[in-house]
Amino acid sequence: MGIFDALDISASGLIAERTRMDVTSQNLANAQSSGYRRQDVVLREAGGGFANVLGKAIGASSSEAPGGGTNRGVEVAEVVTDQAEQRRVYDPGHPDADAQGYVRLPNVNAVSEMTDLISASRAYEANVTAMNTAKQMFSKTLEILR
Amino acid sequence: MDLFDTTQTALERAMSGTSARQAALAQNLANANTPGYQRKDVDFQGALRSALAGGKSAVERSSIQAVTDTSAALRADGSNVDPEREGAIIARAGLEHDALVSVANARNSILRAAMGIG
Repeated sequence: MGIFDALDISASGLIAERTRMDVTSQNLANAQSSGYRRQDVVLREAGGGFANVLGKAIGASSSEAPGGGTNRGVEVAEVVTDQAEQRRVYDPGHPDADAQGYVRLPNVNAVSEMTDLISASRAYEANVTAMNTAKQMFSKTLEILR
Repeated sequence: MDLFDTTQTALERAMSGTSARQAALAQNLANANTPGYQRKDVDFQGALRSALAGGKSAVERSSIQAVTDTSAALRADGSNVDPEREGAIIARAGLEHDALVSVANARNSILRAAMGIG
């Protein structure tokens, strides 16, 4: 448990939320690309994977926070493709139109993408706040040395 | 009589506690959008309070324990993190830490004055 753990954890939160914003932007940018399916980010608590379980099993304790819990922040587990039905639009002149003249347009809903974007941006700000508090705490601690 | 008494040791221990607590709260905020995540907190006050009666060595060994909070209301995705609540607790832990540092500083300056180097 080092004193910079809190900063690393908040940084992992910033990366995760930034990834969500990137993927949402990708969805919005491709809102009219025929054949595209929207993508979604799956987050999970970092350090809970196989390596950690193995480490605990063989008795490694250096990576553990006080009390045995692991504080490693958050990580992107995977970016999944949303399998929801694509929109079928009648446009026989389109090069991607099928035999009946229908084009498959993305299952992207601009409104829900915008709310995802706001949610990711707010969570990003929350992590910045936590990072600033940690920074203030550490610099206050350094005052003891004066 | 030690140079650093039980109170000074307790202040150090409490500062370690607030630092660990800050890490746990940052972990909660980082996982604000993780489905199924259960919020964590750090408990050190209870152990420290009972250790104070046992003197300096008991205080030095008092436990700083990570606890998983299962009492908070669940969201639809199975997580129980409420960013506003975490923000408020982070602000509080930061102020507690500042208070501890101020008290430690005041005690240190008294020591310095007694040694004639203040």
